[in-house]
Amino acid sequence: MSVRTAVVLAAGEGTRLRPLTHNRPKPMLVAANRPILEHVLDALIEAGIERLVLVVGYRRNRVQNHFGSSYRGVEIEYVVQYKQLGSGHALLQAADTVSEPMLVVNGDRLIEASSVSEVMSAFEEGSAAATMAVIEHANTSRYGVVSLDGTRVTEIIEKPETDEFRLINAGIYAFDETIFETISETPRRSGELALTDTISKLIDEQVVRGCRIDGLWVDATYPWDLLSVTSEVLERGRATDRERSDGVWIDDDARVHEDATIRPPVAVGANCEIGPGSVVGPNVALAANTTVGANVTIERSVVDADSRIDHASTLVDAVLGQDVHLGVGTVIPGGPGDVRVGREVHEDQPLGAVLADRVRVGGNVSFEPGTLVGTEAEIGGSCHVRDRVPEGAEVIR
Amino acid sequence: MCGIIGCVGRDERTVETLVHGLEKLEYRGYDSAGIGVVGDGLSVSKTAGEIEALSQKLSEQSLAGTVGIGHTRWSTHGPPTDENAHPHQDCTGRVAVVHNGIIENYQELREELTAAGHRFSSDTDTEVVPHLIEDALEAGAEPEAAFRSAIDRIDGSYAIGALIEGTEALFAARNDSPLVVGLGLDAEGDGSAELTGDGPYFIASDVPAFRDYTARVIYLEDGEFARLDGGVSVTDSDGIPVEKSVETITWDAEETGKSGYDHYMLKEIHEQPRALRQCLSGRIDELGGAVDIEEVGDLSPTGVQFVACGTSYHAGLYAAQLFNQAGVPAQAFLASEYASSPPPVGDDLVVGITQSGETADTLSALREAANRGAETLAVTNTVGSTAARECDHALYIRSGPEIGVAATKTFAGQLAALNLLSLATVEGGRSRRAVVPALRDLSGDIQHILDDSAASEVAEIYADSNAYFFIGRRYQFPVALEGALKLKEISYEHAEGFAAGELKHGPLALVTPNTPVFAIAIGDGDAARKTVGNIKEVEARGAPVVAVTDGRNDAAMYADYVLEVPETHPRAAALLANVQLQLLAYHIANDLGRPIDKPRNLAKSVTVE
Repeated sequence: MSVRTAVVLAAGEGTRLRPLTHNRPKPMLVAANRPILEHVLDALIEAGIERLVLVVGYRRNRVQNHFGSSYRGVEIEYVVQYKQLGSGHALLQAADTVSEPMLVVNGDRLIEASSVSEVMSAFEEGSAAATMAVIEHANTSRYGVVSLDGTRVTEIIEKPETDEFRLINAGIYAFDETIFETISETPRRSGELALTDTISKLIDEQVVRGCRIDGLWVDATYPWDLLSVTSEVLERGRATDRERSDGVWIDDDARVHEDATIRPPVAVGANCEIGPGSVVGPNVALAANTTVGANVTIERSVVDADSRIDHASTLVDAVLGQDVHLGVGTVIPGGPGDVRVGREVHEDQPLGAVLADRVRVGGNVSFEPGTLVGTEAEIGGSCHVRDRVPEGAEVIR
Repeated sequence: MCGIIGCVGRDERTVETLVHGLEKLEYRGYDSAGIGVVGDGLSVSKTAGEIEALSQKLSEQSLAGTVGIGHTRWSTHGPPTDENAHPHQDCTGRVAVVHNGIIENYQELREELTAAGHRFSSDTDTEVVPHLIEDALEAGAEPEAAFRSAIDRIDGSYAIGALIEGTEALFAARNDSPLVVGLGLDAEGDGSAELTGDGPYFIASDVPAFRDYTARVIYLEDGEFARLDGGVSVTDSDGIPVEKSVETITWDAEETGKSGYDHYMLKEIHEQPRALRQCLSGRIDELGGAVDIEEVGDLSPTGVQFVACGTSYHAGLYAAQLFNQAGVPAQAFLASEYASSPPPVGDDLVVGITQSGETADTLSALREAANRGAETLAVTNTVGSTAARECDHALYIRSGPEIGVAATKTFAGQLAALNLLSLATVEGGRSRRAVVPALRDLSGDIQHILDDSAASEVAEIYADSNAYFFIGRRYQFPVALEGALKLKEISYEHAEGFAAGELKHGPLALVTPNTPVFAIAIGDGDAARKTVGNIKEVEARGAPVVAVTDGRNDAAMYADYVLEVPETHPRAAALLANVQLQLLAYHIANDLGRPIDKPRNLAKSVTVE
């Protein structure tokens, strides 16, 4: 039973990544200037997948507009999940489109082609109703943990309270087409259909095989994770702009002033401009059409497309959304800092500041470590900003 | 306006290849379609209606052959009927012809042929061609010679493909209508396809028809003939072989798919941020305050005449303002009028704006200007198009293929490219430093509108109005015209655009509580202040007002609804306001259930005058 089709779940917002996900789903956040989803599709295609079905929903325009009708010569079909009612419900949307064995992956986690291949061959060899990838992970409490008996999965527990488990559900599955029926038969919990509930049902009734993988597996749960995700991608040499020297990827259509200094690893996207005297890197990704003025210092930061950073600014541990404008002399001095996400406070995180899409910052503004600024907030000149600034807020001194 | 496709060497996939090509060409016409193939014999299948109707017919009737031609029609001579659909045949059924263009002397040829005993079964101009070929074959000519002699007899514009029974070859000729030849199976364009070899080979009115198979093309020139069989041989009108260069198409077939959107138009509206980045890529240097466009680098016009039609004419009106502001006299002309009564051209640069590069009216205006000794420039989206090849210079807008009949991203691309033209040739450092950052901000600003636009809500509220009026001043005046054109094209509702100040000189009489007025008010200057005054005029007559504004003036205070655009340079704001109006038109048409990508009576590029 060979697998040639992959269903990619890319409909969810990723609420813990707010405010960055205000205008796009989590799979479209960038890792080294390319959406996470693009890295996922690369892994699938390199593992031999010939047909891609993308389940889209939240802000689906962003996915469809980016990928179009095919990616690297592989056709893409889109199915829409109009309401985000869980991963099982998302997969169910593909029921009318897919009628053959399939691979299912989450579109928001970086995975390796080898992990995909291993799941595919484990599924093709065996007679299990389902095969799922499991991986050792330090932070099991964020994920579903898995107990194995040999290669057989005996239990999945979502976000356990204890740390006694070592293996988590890596979010790469292989099913045959009967999965849709099994999902339909799975009882909903508070209106939602989680794919893991369906798998638990399969564990009780049939054999679910666990396939241990150990390749790259990176997930961004919180905004500051985007910094380590990009660093990971750069360190593994996975940037795709043209590599001009070791660890320096600069698109041919970018203009870097001869008096600017680039400290690898750095990725600079198409049509970026970097002014004289600026020092960029290490671990920096500037997405397309970003303008960096003169004498700017940027270290361990991720800047999304169409942003503008004026002269003499300093950015350390900064995450910038699209179309963010920073005035002259903006200072984001870097982490660690305490970050408030929902009701929780995450202490001592390596984060300077997160500035979501279209934030406008006047001249001479500084940011306390761990600050989160919502989309379209406007921060007047000479302010010192800390904690959280809500979407659309106007901050004056 | 019609689309033609042809292929040789596709063996059992011939019919499938032709139908696929026609689907890709459907934007060029969709009121009837047909195909013809040569194998053991010659067979033809054609029908009135869209290509789906043809597919239906083909599922009941099997056609086999190794060489084929196909056609999708937009009526110019005779109504859309089965008989008037192409391919057309001669009396004996041994010849089949597809044609895009207009044969001007068809009436006299038809009379002559009828007198000689030929029977005509359609109202089309095209049908004279197969009968002429039949005559030449009867007189003993070889198939290729017969085809050439028929083409020699006709005047006018044409891209023609012909099949002759017993000959496994495809004959093609062009004059004033687009025709490209595709080589081999080389979708990656890595160069493995050549002029002679295993084939297959294709002809088409436009590249998307065969883009899924190959990226390697040659462009035929006016007066050239091509014979496709085991290779492609191109000859001039005297039969002398012509050496052709093979070019590689750089855009992907995927760019012509709908990719999950309900309509091409919506997809193309969303593609504008990317299209504008491509348009500007490598041409501007913000930190250096420079604009550098190789294609027009040496021009320094002392006067400019823009010639264009439809949406492109609105781009011309906008561009004329840019040049006038810079102190260079400039004027925009409707190309059809320009060609009929050309103004004195003097030393002016004549700029033709045409998305397809094949718009017949614009081409004849450009030719008229060239005949009078003017230097000409084409601003176009289509590399290798007639306008690009015939003009002295070409400036490409790089918007990528546009399939929706209503132009959207290419209008944005035209405005951006015309800004570059003006900045590079006549404007000084000061305006470059002011405008270049605004151009670089365009893609982010447009994305902002796409993410947050209230256009669908506004559309729902006003989808049932009697008429729609659009007003704007200065750079926003062409946008008002374009907003109205977009709405009428795809919604079939009555819509008009006016210069805001002109409203009180007449059109105000049309304004009622059931005619919403869309007013574009940008910035805090004089133009905005006066437009706000005009808003008060219509408000006093009880008309609902929707303000398209950046919030730097009082327009929102007097408006029932607001469509916001980010603050930027007023020149760039024109593109932003336009995106709101594109979305508005789209949603009104969608609410009314119109066939948005294929509005009635319209075709994408109009290759007849």
